[in-house]
Amino acid sequence: MDMPAYYEFCCRVKIISGHDVLERIPATLAELTARRPMIVTDKGVVGAGLINIVVNAIGNGVDIGAIADDVPPDSDLRIVNSLARLYREKGCDSLLAIGGGSVMDTAKGINIIVSEEADDLMRFSGANALKRALRPLIAIPTTAGTGSEVTLVAVIKDHEKHLKMAFISNFLLPNACVVDSRMTLTLPPAATAATGMDALSHAVEAYTCLAKNPLSDAHALAATRLISENLLKVTLNPGDKEGRLCMASAATLAGIAFGNSMVGMVHTLGHSVGSVCGVPHGACMAILLPYGLEYNMHKNGHLTAELLFPMAGAPVYAATPKEERAQTVIALIRRMNQELYEATGGRHARFFKEALDRDGREMVPKERLPDIAETALRDGSISYNPEDLDYDDFLMVMEAAWEGRPLDTGLIRKG
Amino acid sequence: MKNFREVAAGKKSLKKDYVAVMMWFMGRAIQAAAAVDMAAKKEFAGMPDGFTFALSVMPNGPHMIIGKDQRGFVRYKGWDPDGNKIDLDMKIKNIEAALLLFTFQESTTLATARNRLVVDGDVAHACAVMRILDIVEVYLLPKIIAKLAVKRYSGWSFRRKYLGRVLVYVRSIFSF
Amino acid sequence: MYLPERYEFFCPVKINSGNRALEHVPFELDALNARKPLVVAGKDVGERGLVGVIIDAFKDSGLAIGVYDGVPSAPDLKLIRELFNIYRDRGHDALIAIGGGSAADTAKVLNIAVSGKPEDIEGCAGENLIKKPLKPLIIVPTTAGTGYEVSKYAFFAGRDYASHFLMPNLAVIDPRMTIPEDAVTTAAAALFALTHAAEAYTCPGKNPLADAYAYTAIQLIMANLVNVIGDQRDKNGRLSLANAHAMAGCAFSNVALGVAHKLGKVMGDLCHLPQGLCMGMLLPRVLEREMSEGGYHIADLLLPLAGFDTYASTAADMKARRAVEIIHDLLKDLSAANGGAISRIWKDIQVSEDTLQDIAQRAGVNEASFDIDGCAKILREAREGR
Ligand SMILES: [Fe+2]
Repeated sequence: MDMPAYYEFCCRVKIISGHDVLERIPATLAELTARRPMIVTDKGVVGAGLINIVVNAIGNGVDIGAIADDVPPDSDLRIVNSLARLYREKGCDSLLAIGGGSVMDTAKGINIIVSEEADDLMRFSGANALKRALRPLIAIPTTAGTGSEVTLVAVIKDHEKHLKMAFISNFLLPNACVVDSRMTLTLPPAATAATGMDALSHAVEAYTCLAKNPLSDAHALAATRLISENLLKVTLNPGDKEGRLCMASAATLAGIAFGNSMVGMVHTLGHSVGSVCGVPHGACMAILLPYGLEYNMHKNGHLTAELLFPMAGAPVYAATPKEERAQTVIALIRRMNQELYEATGGRHARFFKEALDRDGREMVPKERLPDIAETALRDGSISYNPEDLDYDDFLMVMEAAWEGRPLDTGLIRKG
Repeated sequence: MKNFREVAAGKKSLKKDYVAVMMWFMGRAIQAAAAVDMAAKKEFAGMPDGFTFALSVMPNGPHMIIGKDQRGFVRYKGWDPDGNKIDLDMKIKNIEAALLLFTFQESTTLATARNRLVVDGDVAHACAVMRILDIVEVYLLPKIIAKLAVKRYSGWSFRRKYLGRVLVYVRSIFSF
Repeated sequence: MYLPERYEFFCPVKINSGNRALEHVPFELDALNARKPLVVAGKDVGERGLVGVIIDAFKDSGLAIGVYDGVPSAPDLKLIRELFNIYRDRGHDALIAIGGGSAADTAKVLNIAVSGKPEDIEGCAGENLIKKPLKPLIIVPTTAGTGYEVSKYAFFAGRDYASHFLMPNLAVIDPRMTIPEDAVTTAAAALFALTHAAEAYTCPGKNPLADAYAYTAIQLIMANLVNVIGDQRDKNGRLSLANAHAMAGCAFSNVALGVAHKLGKVMGDLCHLPQGLCMGMLLPRVLEREMSEGGYHIADLLLPLAGFDTYASTAADMKARRAVEIIHDLLKDLSAANGGAISRIWKDIQVSEDTLQDIAQRAGVNEASFDIDGCAKILREAREGR
């Protein structure tokens, strides 16, 4: 095992996980001396009946100041401001964020405004602009994927000025995250598959990219193992409580791994496909993950090879010759996508050509690929990718991922 | 109390001077590369006119400030952050980390991976600046060091590698 | 993969490790909203020039620091009062402890005082009696650090403390501070950490987050300990061990303490032996006993101990046995690597039957499969080297 010449590792979030841990929320609030939380969530979470479960589990001991359920799928500065006003009007003193990435980001944004008594959120953008602890924030994830319950970043968009602001600070970490299997039991199969593959991409990229370290590796290995053992199972059988808890824990572990070791080109391209064509993040990750591993093979194939152990288990690992392990990992991820495709009745896309929106329209028209490659040049995650990519390289990878054929290794320019 | 003492804030002048000189040279080289290298030109074209960025050492310098003026020309604007509105500040966390970078023991890629840099400003522009730094390093450094400094040291034509290198050197030193 | 029905995990410690890690401390202090730290160190640390490294690391930071390098091996409350006054009068807002042992314990307890009032030291002794976060605390481990210094535990002037709020905000592991130590100190520290990590990894209350820390700690110790004992110039090895110890400290702060820990601690104190060496020799015997009682996580221990390949090629029913063997082998290798000082300690242990019963009783082990007779049997086996 290689010890990096220098690394940093941190996850200060208290993690509470289990089948019935929502009931721990009142005690956790009390430890944080909070009495009147505001719930921040979205319509999807409310529609799935999850807010009722949380409110019932909390019981009468806690006085819920407000329930804000209008967080859009894409975090938005205007909503952050209006919810901060609501928080003040209702005299709240803490936040419960219940949802996926956008809800977490929104709650973090609200927390900055109400804690710093600021009007202008922008003043706190960038790294380490916050200097003191914010109001208590408890995160309750409802997708087993994003890992944003344990990351110190918030991304908030100003749709009027077309700005995307990133906020990075230890103080943005939630004080606690409550990972309860009841929160993901009703997640539909296609979303389960996509968010699960997002978590897998966090673990795999953290393990194989440039900012890896032994501690994040251990988190990534455990996450990879849990996902490989459980993702197909819960996609086929959404009511599998044990499997759901394993997936939720895996997402948290993978979130810690990538929060510390970052991600590479799979996310670079995935963010770009998301912003150009609106394809959900998890769906992009599922499609792109094998390509990222193929592209970087000459630099980190030995690391990819190690992932065969958590992906396939000890017997398969032992039976596979060393030089074939990396290729086997890539083949296994492709097979996983195929199985998830079948398990979701074709809703889990295996390549971009077959990614369809709700009305059955193609989401990624081939003529948008150059735009995607161009956008990728502006995404920070590329710094952590082992091999360099320029516009032509991005386009080459996208063309393969669009059609669903393996990368032509002859086209990879090796540094 | 015995065994207690207060230690006032000190200085590491020599190290700072070295980094300041390297930054001066790097700044001039960026200005030169922006004039002669197609890839560098293209990266600067993506920045708005009047855009200013800095590479600096925390907590109080030195700084390297590069600006694109209203007519689109790229200029090295010196080391004094006062009087410059900096849109993008790429801050090295301390002078020792800067020294690792400017003695080429750690590439910008590694410094980023090791969390020794803080980006204050738009990430998209920061990506462009990182690529510009890579280009300039390939121009300035002997192959054996440049190969360690950048992820992919290949694909450069003979003309770009050698003629370009001469031009960047000459322009950096004589500043035109 | 095993996942408990329910678990909680909390580790506020950030780890910064490697080349020039100390120079990042001013940046980290800024992120903790602090600007005038008080450095607390033992006498030996000052004498060995390590305080100078810290002072140098702050040179370009624009920050003034206070330095106290006179912590004795058994500090008392008078020291806390004096340091409390300095902290308050000179406007300090954070603590940096160098090294493990009494300096770290002093800093932790001092932190209770400066975050409230000096009298709190009495009220907060015990289990989970600190109710709010304390001032920023940074620990800079040296080679002799066992991981105890980054844990939630502290021991000061006859009082035991346990609270997550005692854990440091940051552990800075810098190769300039992990200087060579004698073989016994190095081995004792590493075996202390290995015991904690292995017991965290195999205990019934284990969880995947504590496992990640324990797993990494075990891996690093197995990859480096014998080398470092054989060759103290192995700089990277010493850095890796210091990392492992810190990680073990994070892991064992999140699970119940194990039998080898409890017995080894009391044995070390009663017999005047390094606790780590006692724990190390007890560990494989405790695991054997647990194995015979059906402790099924012991097979998993083979993975961090030996790596993917050995784990995969060992038959399922042999994994636990193999794991215990590997620890026995490690102890043998350590004895062999240092020319006898460690094995001499192990061989010459003079524990009378009475002391043995005494240790078994005082250790306060209350696991079902480890009654006092069971504990005594393990101690006897260890004494006789069986
Ligand atoms: Fe992701």
